[in-house]
Amino acid sequence: MSSAFLLKLLLIIAFGGAFLTYVLGKISSTIRDFFAVLVSCILVIIVVYLYGKPVKETFYLGVLGLPLVLRLNMLSWFFALPITSVGALSIIFSLRYIRKREKTDFYYMTMILVNAGMLGIVLSGDLVSFYIFWEIMSWSAFLLISYNRGPALAAGMKYIIMSVVGSAAMLIGIISIYTNYGTVIISDISTHLAAASSGYILFLLILYFVAFGVKNAVWPFHTWLPSAHSEAPSPFSAVLSGILIKMGTYGFLLIMYTIVGLKVFLDLSWGLFSFHYILCWFGAITVVIPTFTALLQNDAKRLLAWHSIGQIGYIIIGIALGTSLGIAGGIFHFLNHATFKALLFLSVGAVEYRTGGVRDLNSLGGLIKRMPITFTGALVGSLGIIGVPLTNGFVSKWLIYKALISQGNPFLAFAALIGTWGTLLSFYKFLHNMFLGQLPEKYKNIEKAPFSMQFPIIIYSLVIIVFGILPGIPLKVINSIDTYFGFESLHINIWGIASETGALNTINIFAAVLVAGVIVWLISRLGVKSKPVPQEDTYAAGSYIPEEKYHYTVDFYNPLYRMIGPYLRDVIDDFYRILAKGVQRVCDRIKRVYAGDVGYYVIYIVLFLAVIILIQVGFKPW
Amino acid sequence: MVIKIIQIIVYPILTFIIGIFFIGLSRKMMARIQRRYGPPITQPLIDLIRFFYQKGISHGSIFNFGVILSLAGSIVVLLFIPFGRMSPLSSSGGLLVILYIMLFAPLGIALSGGEGANPNISIGISRKLILSLGYEVPFLFIILAIMTYYKTTSITEIVKIQQEAGWALFTIPLFLPGIAYLLILPAIIGMRPFDIASAPQEISSGPMVEYSGKYLALVHIEHAFTLFIGIALFINLFLGGATNIGFFFLKMIVLFVIVLIVNAVFPRYRVEQAIKYLWKWPTLIAFVGLILTKIPIF
Repeated sequence: MSSAFLLKLLLIIAFGGAFLTYVLGKISSTIRDFFAVLVSCILVIIVVYLYGKPVKETFYLGVLGLPLVLRLNMLSWFFALPITSVGALSIIFSLRYIRKREKTDFYYMTMILVNAGMLGIVLSGDLVSFYIFWEIMSWSAFLLISYNRGPALAAGMKYIIMSVVGSAAMLIGIISIYTNYGTVIISDISTHLAAASSGYILFLLILYFVAFGVKNAVWPFHTWLPSAHSEAPSPFSAVLSGILIKMGTYGFLLIMYTIVGLKVFLDLSWGLFSFHYILCWFGAITVVIPTFTALLQNDAKRLLAWHSIGQIGYIIIGIALGTSLGIAGGIFHFLNHATFKALLFLSVGAVEYRTGGVRDLNSLGGLIKRMPITFTGALVGSLGIIGVPLTNGFVSKWLIYKALISQGNPFLAFAALIGTWGTLLSFYKFLHNMFLGQLPEKYKNIEKAPFSMQFPIIIYSLVIIVFGILPGIPLKVINSIDTYFGFESLHINIWGIASETGALNTINIFAAVLVAGVIVWLISRLGVKSKPVPQEDTYAAGSYIPEEKYHYTVDFYNPLYRMIGPYLRDVIDDFYRILAKGVQRVCDRIKRVYAGDVGYYVIYIVLFLAVIILIQVGFKPW
Repeated sequence: MVIKIIQIIVYPILTFIIGIFFIGLSRKMMARIQRRYGPPITQPLIDLIRFFYQKGISHGSIFNFGVILSLAGSIVVLLFIPFGRMSPLSSSGGLLVILYIMLFAPLGIALSGGEGANPNISIGISRKLILSLGYEVPFLFIILAIMTYYKTTSITEIVKIQQEAGWALFTIPLFLPGIAYLLILPAIIGMRPFDIASAPQEISSGPMVEYSGKYLALVHIEHAFTLFIGIALFINLFLGGATNIGFFFLKMIVLFVIVLIVNAVFPRYRVEQAIKYLWKWPTLIAFVGLILTKIPIF
């Protein structure tokens, strides 16, 4: 089979699979579950098979006289693989998570549809099909966010309104490009834009910054994300945070380095200000404010959601910096964030499933004794997002810090580094309040998560550690994306990076930690064996130990909250609320004019004609 | 290669001896400042041996694993920090790597303590993490100033340049970050006025409260290593390292005695006071230092 045919087949399977799942669900839920998993796995297999088989633009459909084309290059492959894999693992996780709920057919259909939409985005070779797939993705995501009803409906509404604003910006950009150059095919546009004025390019970049910034939740477009992520069903939160918001990252890469082009993009400056540095600073703000806002959260999924925004900041800094190290770090961080954030959401989902929907960090505790695999998953995910060495998050963050420092940007580097410490604080709280400490009486008999939930957790944990010790595997692919954009190639080894200004060797670190650990373990074996004691047997200086709740969780970082809390009000959200109220008031006024009564409209028409006639009689302009 | 392996074996042992000696010295000196006689200087070593023979308790697998991870992490950090001419692993990563491997030790204790299921531990860890966020703000400015000024992230390079061109502490823009580091050094190694995380009189030594027997011994060794790392980092970054172990040790002792004197006379800060202090003067001085390194006239 030719790769071009496979590309079309991929989309046919994805879209056809979505609708067939719905139909099969009406027959039997077991067949539907099996089919949904099958479809998502076939997508992964096809994408894996397509590695290193680039496809030039192939025509598949004509709309309004415009040819729509598909294409596959290294960049889109690198996004397509996480899309399909995260989708497949989330569907496997959903098998048990969603079983007893309503409208499961609909759930599976939209899950696969979101995946199909995202695949379409990365495979489309022209802006019109990009837009169409973008809308399919956005709207099916809306359906899934509001799946739980109640507060989820409001969250979904907030998401879709902001998303529509972004889409409108994108549409204006596409129309403007089409009217100027008469083509929507991406490779043609880039040759045309090479001769465009810098003002026009800035206009396009700002439009697309709004379009992709909303989906990517870059500050100041981040306000939809916290409630949308926390109210969505957990397996979909994993897709939403891991992959879907990263379509904005793909869009940024596409517009900045493929459509506008490396040289033009980096040269876009006025005196001291250059566009890509301003974008970097947007990234830095996106790292710092949301990360420290996350510290204040008490809802496990809301905490993760705020961190999604924070981690997006790292990606933006990386890709906007415009050096080969920075881009590599940004793209690698996209992949890593997809793995550890999906893992964290699934771990919370497993806890939620077993405790009956509890995700309040103040009422859990001690679950490590009942759900050890889930704890391990959450631990590995937390280490990854903090960026502890030997996890993949460390390597990508190291690349970004390194790029910033070697570019002479200590202030941006400071924002990135301090973000890591905020992450450390909130993820210790996350682990401690859920899994460590004392197990409450009511959770004494909780079972461990079912295998269909443990399986994705184990897979993600393995990926995080393997890519942390052998970062050369993904970095090789990323390096070819770098060279495709026109950067110089990096010196990639299987164990990391060799460069003139300081190397990184993760295998040595791994070996050192392993050997040191074994030696310390052996030394500890020399001592007298310790006696295992139950959790009630703790030192309390002779005072009485209460049985029900003896776990320090509420206001875990109270002195810090009191100091930084007042500075972390989400002013942007307040601004949008005021804006929304204002718009509503204006619309109410307009509604009074459009009363819905035919009599009024007749009067309006007569008045309008009268004015026209008056003008004609008075000034004779026509 | 053989030399490196010997260094990898010798380095942690030397560190252990120096760290334990420092703890003994601190108890003796504190006693003398407070006009007591104090324990013999070998007392910490005797205690360690005794702990290994005492039967302790354990709260579960992460409780044990965390302690081991923490000590192993400290050992790995050592191998990246030059000690005289020894720096066996420094070619595998520079300051940025050191900064992040330094996370293993507190993280291990935090995870281990978490399973200890004692609120004193949780309070202690919460304080420790807040404090670390507190000193990390000036600390990051300091190392960014160093890295920007010397245009490298490799710690061996930084030491080499200083040995040729003079100590960073006496270089024009870098003396500011140096002073800031001195101001936050007690916080980094957890001595008064910043011993809020352990605070024996308030929260029963915080994270340490559930350890006994061999795990208490391991935690004590880890503490000795932390002392060594905090001081050695300052010597390498600002006092030009040293060409041999003897000089390095001499510089360490001088610095440690200064910290001890502060430790002996200052009472403990509250958490808010500590953060306010750390985010005010040290941060301001380090920040000005960083800005000055960006100005090309220096």
